[in-house]
Amino acid sequence: MPDDLHANKRSHMPENSLIFERLVPALLILLGILTLALILFAAGVLLGIIHI
Amino acid sequence: MSIIQILPFISTAIMLGFTVYVFQRYSLRRAPHFLFWGIGLAMFGLGSFAEAYLALAWSRAVFVIWFLFGAILNPAWIGQGTLYLLVRRPWVHVVSGILVLASLVSSRLMLSIPINDSAFQLGIPISQQYKAIIPPASFGLILIPTIIFGTVGLVLLVGGALYSAFLFWRKRVLPNRVIGNVLIAAGALSVASASELTHLGYGQLLYVGELIAAVLMFIGFLTAARPQPGELTQPVVAAAG
Repeated sequence: MPDDLHANKRSHMPENSLIFERLVPALLILLGILTLALILFAAGVLLGIIHI
Repeated sequence: MSIIQILPFISTAIMLGFTVYVFQRYSLRRAPHFLFWGIGLAMFGLGSFAEAYLALAWSRAVFVIWFLFGAILNPAWIGQGTLYLLVRRPWVHVVSGILVLASLVSSRLMLSIPINDSAFQLGIPISQQYKAIIPPASFGLILIPTIIFGTVGLVLLVGGALYSAFLFWRKRVLPNRVIGNVLIAAGALSVASASELTHLGYGQLLYVGELIAAVLMFIGFLTAARPQPGELTQPVVAAAG
């Protein structure tokens, strides 16, 4: 039983982690914005607004 | 040969290992998402191999392989793997049928366009001279499937990875899958951005973007696939994309 508890704890995010509290959400937002920008760029090319 | 032209050799080696790893997963699980990822990654690797080959010599067939698999088809096939992973509905098979059909049409189109062999210059990355090799009228035609396949792949692969990462992050579970999916999304965005910049005339960035993508996506996949102690889901990757 103690082993199980230990194992389940390890499958959860560490608390007060700078990576998971700050870096991951910031990256998710940044990568999401970049994705939207690329989709808009592609739409612009297909619609003839952007010439390549 | 410039340093830039050496990068596709490294990307090809990484993609070969990545593709073999994913197909091994498929042979164990028989899950369709591994099959589509494996095919898409093999196409990515073929594109890198073609770049490496074209750094050494000219071949019309290799150029066609580079554009067809490296520029047009691979993102949508990898993205279709992610769709299979995230959506367990019968209509996904219909999307696969459309993908296969669209791939065949694009292949036929690519094989039919005229290619100006004499425009090729050895010593210049193919990503910087492909517009001179494909006549402008034909390039406009082949650009349409390139943009459509690329955007569909971007939405499915990057969107799927970010969505998975967000779900695990919100539930505060499986940190390996959060990190793995963020790396996969970053890698896919690296090559997608480099492709767009290549079309805008910055072809020298494509090889760098591909190498970054190969490294980040492979590490991301391995990270997401690593079983966690106490993980309640199946021990092999269930949400790498």
